[in-house]
Amino acid sequence: MDIQFDEIYKTYWQKIYRLCLGYVNDADWAKDIAQETFITVWQQLPKFRNDSGIGTWIFRIASNHCLRQVERNKRIPRLGIQTEIPEIIEPSIEDKTAFLYQCIAELAETDRLIISLELEDIKQAEIAQIVGISEANVRVRIHRIKERLTQKFTKHEQ
Amino acid sequence: MNSNLDLKELWAKQETGIPDTKDLFKRVASFKRTYLKQLVYANILLLLVAIFIVLIWYYFQPEYITTKSGIVLIILAILAYLFSYNQSIPLLLKSSYEMSSADYLQQLLSLKRKQQFLQGIMTNLYFILLSTGLFLYMIEYTMRMKLPMGMVCYGITAGWIAFNWFYIKPKTIRKQREKIDGLINKFTLLTKQFSENS
Repeated sequence: MDIQFDEIYKTYWQKIYRLCLGYVNDADWAKDIAQETFITVWQQLPKFRNDSGIGTWIFRIASNHCLRQVERNKRIPRLGIQTEIPEIIEPSIEDKTAFLYQCIAELAETDRLIISLELEDIKQAEIAQIVGISEANVRVRIHRIKERLTQKFTKHEQ
Repeated sequence: MNSNLDLKELWAKQETGIPDTKDLFKRVASFKRTYLKQLVYANILLLLVAIFIVLIWYYFQPEYITTKSGIVLIILAILAYLFSYNQSIPLLLKSSYEMSSADYLQQLLSLKRKQQFLQGIMTNLYFILLSTGLFLYMIEYTMRMKLPMGMVCYGITAGWIAFNWFYIKPKTIRKQREKIDGLINKFTLLTKQFSENS
């Protein structure tokens, strides 16, 4: 199981981290949520039945961990735990990327999840399964969110 | 849509180093330790108090039925508190993350409502049992005193119970409510986001 988990961890870490970053727009906080997600994945993996694809399953866990963040409105380490996570130097990212994440974090919570999943190239049918709304609703929302983001980018570039 | 391609490209540029899985497992172990410690400390402390009260019964051999029922009620109050405390933490840990987000929010809402109900009932029960227990327990010992001293003793105890009942209890319940109500409101708002425009 550990080999399987290692593979999952390597394949999905960046994707899950981006989803969490889109939600909170704070690198450390996003890493925390991503780690919590993988802890749940590790704990639940033996019970995982292939009803949904493994990707859908992991993104569901991550999305729900994100939604749970309302319980932690202050930036305090969860349960007072501070593990020694080696400081990783962030590669400098372009302003535009930073602006995109900022714009996403300003959206309504559920929209943040939907657009993050869309930008991660997940099929709309799968997004519908992850968040639990109809595919048509997902399509409409993605269209609206993209319009808003494009508007913000146009304004930003002027 | 051209911007679509750009957004996806921008999105994917964000990367971070992968923390070692060892850190992940360290975190699981540390979480379990912290959680267990909290649970064990609260239980041990209150059980020690209960044992102490039982020892009073054993050594001082109270004669009145009121004293004995008082002791039983105080122990019941402690057990009620422990039951509620031991239930509230695992209740939230039991939540499953594997359902769709819409279902997950519903689950969180129902768990929070359960917690709210349990806390309200248990806090009331705790105060009622403790106050009545103490009142009954004191009867035998006050009867042995002279009237003025007995009145002072009951007066002070009644004052202390009234202070708890009218000040500490409403304050405790209000604090618990505010916290859970705030979360229930937030989860309700999130649930509404899913049903809007559908």
